[in-house]
This record gives sequence, C-alpha cells and structure tokens, in this order.
Amino acid sequence: MTTHRDTDAVPTFAHELDAASFDLLVENLDRWVRSAPAWPPARGVQAEWDGVRPRLEAARHDLARVLVVGVVGGTGTGKSTLVNALAGGEVTAAGDVARPTTINPVVVAARDVDVSWLPLDAMGARLVRSDSPAVATIVLVDCPDPDTQDLPGHPVVDTSRPSGGNRNRDLLEAVLPACDVLLLASTAQKYRSWIVAREVAAFAPGRPLLFVQTHASRDPDIRADWRKELESQGFDVPRIFRVDGVDAAERAASGLEPDAGFRDLVAAINDELVGRAARRVRRTGAVDLAAWFTRQAREACGGFQPAVAALSVGVTSETRRLEGILAKAIRETLHGNRAAWQRLIGDDVVARWHGGPFAAFLHVTSALASLWSRIRPTGGLVGRLLAGQSVTAAAREAGWHAVEELGLPSGEIEQTRSVLSGLAVRAGMTEPLVGRSRLSVDRAEAATATVVDRAGRWLATGIDQLVAQRRRHVGQPIVHWTFEALFSGLVITVLGRAGWNFFYGNLWEGRPVSGIGFLEEAIVWVILWGFALRWAVFALVRRGLDRDIRGLVDSLAASRVVEPLIADFAAAAESAGSWMGEGDRLGSEAERLAADGDRSALGRLRRAASEAGRFNTASA
Amino acid sequence: MDSQTPADAPSFVAWSGGVAELCNVVERLLPVAAALGAADPMPHPWHGALFGKLRPQVSREPLLVAAVCGGTNTGKSLITNTLVGAAISRSVPEAARTVHPVASLARGVAERVDLAELFPGFQPVPWRSDADALDLGAGDVLVWREDPGGTQPPRLVMLDTPDIDGTLRENWHRAELVRHAADVIVAVLTQQKYNDAAVRDFFAQAATAGKTVMVVFNMVDWPRQRERIAGWLGTFTTETGVAPAAVYAVPHDFAAAESGTIVIHPLPELTPDGGSMGLAERLSAGDFDRIKWRAMEGAMRVVIDPATGLSSWLDGIDRAAAGWRDAQHLLEREGRVRVELPAAPRQLVWDEVWRWLEPRRSGIDLMVSAGYRAVGQGVSWMARRVGLARSSAERQEDFAHAELEALKRALADFIDRLDGACRLDARLAAQLGPRLAAADRAAWYADLERRHASLPLVSDGYRSFVRNELDRFAETNPGMVKAVLTGLTVGSVVRPVMTLALFSAGAAAMPAAAGVLHHVLDFGVTVAAPLAGEGAVAVAAQGIRPLIERLFAGWTADRGRILAETLHDVVLGGGVDEIATLASSSSRPEMIRARQLLVELSRESA
Repeated sequence: MTTHRDTDAVPTFAHELDAASFDLLVENLDRWVRSAPAWPPARGVQAEWDGVRPRLEAARHDLARVLVVGVVGGTGTGKSTLVNALAGGEVTAAGDVARPTTINPVVVAARDVDVSWLPLDAMGARLVRSDSPAVATIVLVDCPDPDTQDLPGHPVVDTSRPSGGNRNRDLLEAVLPACDVLLLASTAQKYRSWIVAREVAAFAPGRPLLFVQTHASRDPDIRADWRKELESQGFDVPRIFRVDGVDAAERAASGLEPDAGFRDLVAAINDELVGRAARRVRRTGAVDLAAWFTRQAREACGGFQPAVAALSVGVTSETRRLEGILAKAIRETLHGNRAAWQRLIGDDVVARWHGGPFAAFLHVTSALASLWSRIRPTGGLVGRLLAGQSVTAAAREAGWHAVEELGLPSGEIEQTRSVLSGLAVRAGMTEPLVGRSRLSVDRAEAATATVVDRAGRWLATGIDQLVAQRRRHVGQPIVHWTFEALFSGLVITVLGRAGWNFFYGNLWEGRPVSGIGFLEEAIVWVILWGFALRWAVFALVRRGLDRDIRGLVDSLAASRVVEPLIADFAAAAESAGSWMGEGDRLGSEAERLAADGDRSALGRLRRAASEAGRFNTASA
Repeated sequence: MDSQTPADAPSFVAWSGGVAELCNVVERLLPVAAALGAADPMPHPWHGALFGKLRPQVSREPLLVAAVCGGTNTGKSLITNTLVGAAISRSVPEAARTVHPVASLARGVAERVDLAELFPGFQPVPWRSDADALDLGAGDVLVWREDPGGTQPPRLVMLDTPDIDGTLRENWHRAELVRHAADVIVAVLTQQKYNDAAVRDFFAQAATAGKTVMVVFNMVDWPRQRERIAGWLGTFTTETGVAPAAVYAVPHDFAAAESGTIVIHPLPELTPDGGSMGLAERLSAGDFDRIKWRAMEGAMRVVIDPATGLSSWLDGIDRAAAGWRDAQHLLEREGRVRVELPAAPRQLVWDEVWRWLEPRRSGIDLMVSAGYRAVGQGVSWMARRVGLARSSAERQEDFAHAELEALKRALADFIDRLDGACRLDARLAAQLGPRLAAADRAAWYADLERRHASLPLVSDGYRSFVRNELDRFAETNPGMVKAVLTGLTVGSVVRPVMTLALFSAGAAAMPAAAGVLHHVLDFGVTVAAPLAGEGAVAVAAQGIRPLIERLFAGWTADRGRILAETLHDVVLGGGVDEIATLASSSSRPEMIRARQLLVELSRESA
C-alpha cells in the first residue's frame, strides 16, 4: 500500500522533480504561447494558457504553502459529514433534512495556519478553525454540490421554484480554482452521476485527486466499478478509500478509535499532503498541468496539421507553376529578341576589338544599327535589359503592368492566390494572417516592386554572365585576327590588284588606266565581304545561345522572383508549422517531466479532453 | 374534452385523423427544418408527446403504460421486479447497469400489438433472461416479456427504464422515449436524489405532459426517516409540479433487496385520496380510461402550447427561413462580379456580318471589296514581316490569353466574395463554406481553362444569333445595311463589360442583351448586362446603335457563359439553388397545413 511508504525516502528535490527543468519548461511554454501566429487555433491555446499560467506560476512560488483540499461530490454523498469527521466536530451542517445541505462553502483550517491568501469573499466561504490533527497542516474546503442547480443549457430558469435561485454549481466553480487537491466523495447512487463527472473533469487537470466512497456502512462496495468508470473518464486511480463519515464522527465524539477505512484516509492525508509531500504534490500537480496544457494545445492544433502541411505543399507547387509561366514567357522574349542579343553580344565583342580594318567596319555598322533599336526597345523589362537599359524606378513603380510585361499575367497570380486561400481556409487561416486572391493596393505595390526588382537583378546578372560567356567564346584574339585576316585579305587583294594594274599593266605594259570604276566595284565587294564576315561573327555569337538561354531561365527558381506575390501564404504556413513543431517538442518535454513525477495514492486526470471532454461537449 | 373518453367522443375520429395528418406533415417538414438549421425537434417535449404518445395510441387498442423511472442505483429494477412479481430485470449493486428498458406485458399483448409502433424509436426484442437489460449492446432496444403468471391486468404494460442522470447519456435518451410513451410514471426517489437537477427536469416534463405520477421513496432509513419524507416530497412537488397520485416508501434493507423481497409501504398521509392501497394494486385497479385520457390530453396540451409546442418549432422554421432570405440577399449583393473582357478582335464579329452580307451584295461591289481585301492582306503581310502587326491567328491567340486571364481574375474575385459572404453570414458558411474550404480550387481553374479551350471563338449559337439579328434588322431598315459595317468598325473598340450575378436581380440589371441571356438564366448564376458603351458608338447612326450593341453584347454573353457554367457546375454545385429553396421554406404547403391543423386541434381540445 503506497500510503504506508516511508516518506523520508522521498524528501530531496532531485527525487521529486528537476525544478530547473520545470522552470525552464514554464518559461519556454510562455515564450512559445506568446510567439503564436495570429491563427485561431493558436488564439485558443493562448486563452487556455492565460488560465493555466497563473497556476503554474503559483506552483513555482508558493511551494511551501499548505495544501487546500476541496471535498467535492454530489448532494447527499456525505461531504459535510466527512469534513466534520476530519475536523473532529460539527463545523458544517450535515444531514438528510434538506437537499442541498451545503449552500456556502466552509473552509476548515487549524488555528495557526495563515489563510489570508485565500479569497474567502470571492468564494463566498465561511472560515472555521479546528484543532483536529487531521486538518493541522492542510486546509479543508467543504464544497457545494454541483448537481442541484439546474442543468447547464436548461432552457428556462424558473425563479418561482426554490431551485431557480440555486447557484451551487456556480459557487463550486468559484471555489475549485483555489483548491490544490480534490477529494472526490461518492456513493453507490452517485458515482456515475453525469453532472458530477462533468464538473470534476473540468477542474481535475493539474489537481491530484483522492477518491473516497462514503456511506460505507449502508452501501455495497462499488469501488471496483467506480474505478472502471473513472478510468474510462481518463483518470489514473491508484486507490479508492471507503469510509463511513457518520460512523467516524460518532466514534470521534465518543472517544473511540476510528475504523480502518477512516484511519487509512487520515494516514494518506498525512503521508501524501503534508510537509515535504505537499511540495511534491504541488510540483507534480503543476507538471501534470503543464503536460495537460500541451496535450490540449496539441489537440487543438493537431487537427489543422495536415491542412497546414497541404498549404505548404500548395505554396511550393503554386510557386513552381508561376515560375513555369514566367520562365516560358521570359524564354520566349529572350528567343524573340535575337537581334537584340546579337547586338548586345556583338557590340560587346566588337567594342573590345580594336585595330584592324574589320574592327573599324564593325564599329561603323553597329553604330548605324543601334540607332533603330535604341529608339524602340521591345519586350518590356527583358527588352530594355537587352537593349542595355537598367531597371528604372519607373519600372518598379509600374506595379502590375510591369509584372504582366515581364510575362506573369495578373489572372494567373490571382488564380494562385485563390487556390492558396482555399487551402488556407482549410487550415483555419483567414485575413489578416493571409490576404485575399486580389492583393490589396499597398501590398500589391510592395510585392510588384520587389518582383520587378528581383527579376531585374536576376536577369541583368544572368544576361551579363551570358554575354561574358559568349564573349569568351567569340572575343578571343585568334578569332579577331582570323576575321581581320580574312577581311584584310580581300582589301589587300583589291589594293594589290589595283597596284598591279597600275604599275604592271599601265607603266610596264602600257595599257590604259582603268579609272576608278574598278575601285568603286571593289568597294562594293569589300562591303559585301564585310557583311558576310559580320554575319559569320554573329553566327558564332548565336551558336549555343538557345542552350545558354535555357540555362539562364532554369536559374529562375533560385532568384525567388515570384515569392513576394504569395509571401503571406508562405509565411503563414511556415509560422504555423514551426509553431506546432515547437509545441510538439515542448509537449514531449512536459510529458517526460510528468512521467518522472512521483505519485502515490493520489489520482490524476491523465488523458486529454477527448474522453473527459465529452462532458463539456455534451452540455453544449 | 376531459369529461369525455375517447370512445364516446363524437369528434374522436376527426381528432385522431388530425393527429395522424399532423404527424405526417411534421415528418415531411423534418428534413426541411434540418436543412434550414432550425432547432432539432427531438429534444422538445412536443415531439415526444406527438410521436411518442399521441400517434402510437390514437389508432389502436388503448393500453396503459406504466414506467418505473429514476436516477442511477436508486433501485428501479428491484421495484419493477417486485411490482411484476418476477425478476424481469436484474438488480445489481453497480450503477447505471440497466441500459435497455424492459417491458412486462399481459399475455397475448405481443401478438395483438405492434410494439415497435407502441414504443417509437425502439427495436422490440423478446426477453431471454434478466440480464438482457444489462448487455444487449448498442442501439435502442426494448426487451419485452409476457407475464408468465397471468396475473398482470390485460391492458397494463409495466416498464423498467434506464437511469436519467448517469454518465451514459444514451440512457437518458431511452428513458425520455419511455416517458413519452408512458401514461403512468412510478418515480423512484431517494434522499440523495430527490432534488438533483437531472431528476427534477425529467419529472417536471412528465408533469407537464399530464402523466399520472406515483412516488416511491426508496432506501429510507425506516422508520427513522418517515417523518422526513413529507419535507422531501414537498421539495420534489414544488420543484417539478408533479401532483403524485400516491406516495410510497421502501425501507433500506440490504438483505431484503438481495433476496428481492422488499416491502413497499403506502404513505396514506401523503396520498391525496388518503388510501393505503398497495402500489401494484393501485396500478392494476386504476381507472385506466381516465388515466389514459388524461395522458393523451396532457400530450395534446404539450403539442399545441403556443410558447413551447409545435407552433414554436414552426415559428423557428419561419425565423430560420427569414435568416436564409437575408443570407440570399447578402449573397445577391456580394456575389456580383464585374468582368472586364478584352476587346474582341473586330474581325470576329465583322466576319460574321460579312458572311451574312455576301449573298446580298452586287457583283461590282463584291469585286471592289475583293480588291480592297487583297490590297489589305498585302499591307498586313508586310506589316507583319517588319514586326509592326500580328497575324490574325496571333491576334486571336493573344485575345484568348487575355480573355482567359480576365475570366480567371473574375473567378478569383468571385471566390473571394463568396469567402467574404461566408464570413459575414453563418448560414452561408454552413451551406457553402465546406464546399469552398474542402474543394481543390486548382480544379476549378482547370475546369475554366478546359471550358475556355473548348469554346470556339465564334460558336454556332452566336452565329445563328447574329444572322437572326441582322435578318430582323434588314427587314425593318433595308437601307441601312451598309452602315452596319461602319458601325461595327467603330463599335468594336468598346471594351466589353459584363456583370456576373448570383440569382437574377430582375430586368433592370439586364439591358440590351437580355434576349441572348435566356440560355444562362436557368442557372442560379446569371450573366447580366454586358457592354458598357458610353458614347462608343456615337458616330454610328442611332438606328444601328442598338443592333451593334446587341451583336457585341451577345458575343460577350456567349463568352461569359463558360464562367457562369464553371461557377454553377463546379464551384457552387447546387448550393445556390438550395439556398433559394431554403429561403422560400416559409411558404411551403406543409407549413401552412401544419398551422391549420394546430388551430383545428386546439379548437377541439378547448
């Protein structure tokens, strides 16, 4: 029997609970709850925490205080009789004359115990001092019954009936928060009472329990069945005491030894609730409460876990979809602007070719050609970048127009946001956590500017790299001088031919000078040859360009261009996901501490609301 | 009515016919009320009185049903066994063990009477052992046994019932069903439980329904507590309104309970007639017809009570329907999307008109036109080559893209608005919310894309629409056919705008193109009022303007139709039609008939 264990064996803190771990857990839980996103399930957790936190704080600071034991149970189960027996005299009215018997709670405490911290007025309680050894180091509260007030959800409170003014359950609910331990008294008639079970389930989290079957001399022993019932409600039931309060009071009055059942109960109170044990009970209760809270929190959010995961997946897949659309559009624009590429790379290559007639030829032609394109660059942002212009502030401020010009139609963005808002609704996320399908004006302004900026930076860098790469291919001196040689070859041939004609044909052989007709003809051929070579240079430039463009477009994902357009959904999914992850971690920590807690004859509510909660849901 | 018994009441046939019809009408209204989200009638006393009491008994041999009711572990089974004189229901020390009612019938009753009808909501099962009531598994089972001794009065049915306050709430429900069916309630009370709220509630409803109640105080510390009983009874009767026909006490005697030989002491000092007749005798010798009629009358009173009876439920339906009407209006207001489609390639409409004109033109005219067309084609070929113009196919592709974008934007806007409306109205949230939240929205857009892809730029429907319009125009304005072309070239710069609405908002919202809209009006989603042509076709002759407007409006409506179809078929399903049905629930014939019957029945009961 656990109650008879040597209490000296468990006095050290290390055996009870790791206090530092508990303090850390409470701090972490507080931080965790405060960091909750503006998400309805998290709001519920915060509300719950507001109720739990003061109790945990109290447990951290009021370790040394005596325990308050609330005696609860249905009307007629002999709560007051039991309290009288423990107090060693009639401190509270008991009997069978009227139901309910106890209207106002009665607080029983030893003369030297300070109870100034107990909110007696708020509890509507009366204080009675007692010299009985059983209440020397605990405070006992005879609580009102929960079962004579009209049922919760009772349609009409009929004030003409006496029970219309019965507020016993409301009083009980004001008293129980002050109790550290609950002593649940029941009888054969009441141990399956729905309303009692409901009230106890509501207040049991974090409050160790003693279970007592009263009316032992009249009722059969129902402890086995009661244990089954309690376990089905989620309680751990290490022990149920069986006493007869009337008999115990009579024995006490006539100076007789109490019977075995009552003796056991008193011994258990002394062993489990007094002195060092009180610290342990308070601490264990607090850890149980913390574990209970994390279970509740996880249960409240757990249902949303798949939906939040689905939102994350949705964000990824929709990002890919938008990137796909954007990539296709940009690829088409880049492909469609062959002339611009050619010019860009060609100009760059040519700009570095100096000395030599072919270089001079290219400089002249490109100066002429660039006039047209600079007047009218096409292809929006991409076109402008290809035309050597930079992303201007005007482009950034152009909003949707600039994004659409880039190749991302607003209809597609709205589709994406609409799909994601559906997933968000399923995850319980609505405004203001996430936006609507159509971005609000200020959000849109910021988002589009960032998109244009990122796209501009990415494209500008990409195009620069691509140009540099091409230049390395084409811009090598050997290529340059080969072309110079080819071009100069014709020029030299033409000049040589002219020289031959003049010196050999005219001066030596005396043929008439052919005039400048030949030169005119020759210049046309040189220009044509120059254009042919220019075409060859650009052919070299173009070779492999498609592959390079593909490579450039493939790097779109890394630039996170479309991200700002759905940043709210991504952030919401991320924050909810990581918040729940942290909750899981803290929950495991709390469970570990709770599993380490030392328990004895005291019961506790172990399982979360799923089972016990039926009492709450059934009342709704 | 209370001076007459059902047998000699001249209007009984009419009355019972009225009750039967009322039951049928209410049954037809049940799904309507459920869909409206009106209060569930099952927990209301009138429902039990009507279906549990009146309907089973208006049309058959009158039986007197006496039920033993009370809290957990108060000894109901023990008292039933004592009254019946046989162990029909096992009495055990554990609480809440009787989970199914057990009925003791006089011999031959089971053959004559359909027990499933007598006890609606229960599945009757013949008795096998006294453990049946404890463990026949889930479901609302009623165990019955015919009295083996043959001493039970032929019209008396005795029942042991599950508890009314335990943690198994199914038991409460079963006890309530039995209470509805019962004429007499044997209330088993103890000093611990006579003032428990759950117990009070149960018996207060029995009193309201005119049941005859006999009170048995069990587990009395006899005779010490005898004088306490008057006080307990006083509290009980004040709280519940029960006027007990007789009061008894059973001493607390563990040994007697174990052997099933308890004594039920009459308490003549608390019994109104002062008699000391035993409980079993009183039940057997009772004035069956008076008790029965009192119970029926009580049940009818519960049903016709204007504040808590059937009419309050009907009022609830009316209120719910009014709420749905508000929801419908909200949806009508919110679910209205302006769709700005890209300007149609003018060629599309123009080509249709050209096709219509072709056979009506002279040879020279045609030749000149063909010449112009060839030149025009040459010019546009050149323009395309130098990148100044797009080909017709390219332009159509551009248009299709832009149009799909516009439709997608409209769909997104629409879904946003629906989400918003659901946030504003709980009813809409219940009706449309699950659909909006659970659906794969990507599939909605895929559906829109599919419909858009399969819609030809000019549909056959639109083609015949244009022909009809032009034919009609040519008939009335023979000289203005050529002006049509001029008008078209100008008219096509109009940016088509249409409004997509849930529910038809009346003719006002559908101007010019109303004629082409009939094909989408069958849906809850309508396409209304395309074309916003402020001054756009002012240059065209006034006579042509309406025609051009109609031609473009018709084309736009034809395009917008696919969005309406996606909304109706995929996004909303039947949700919107359902809301319209719910909003009009108040005027259903069943509602009107139910109120008429209530008036008739209350007149007869007066």
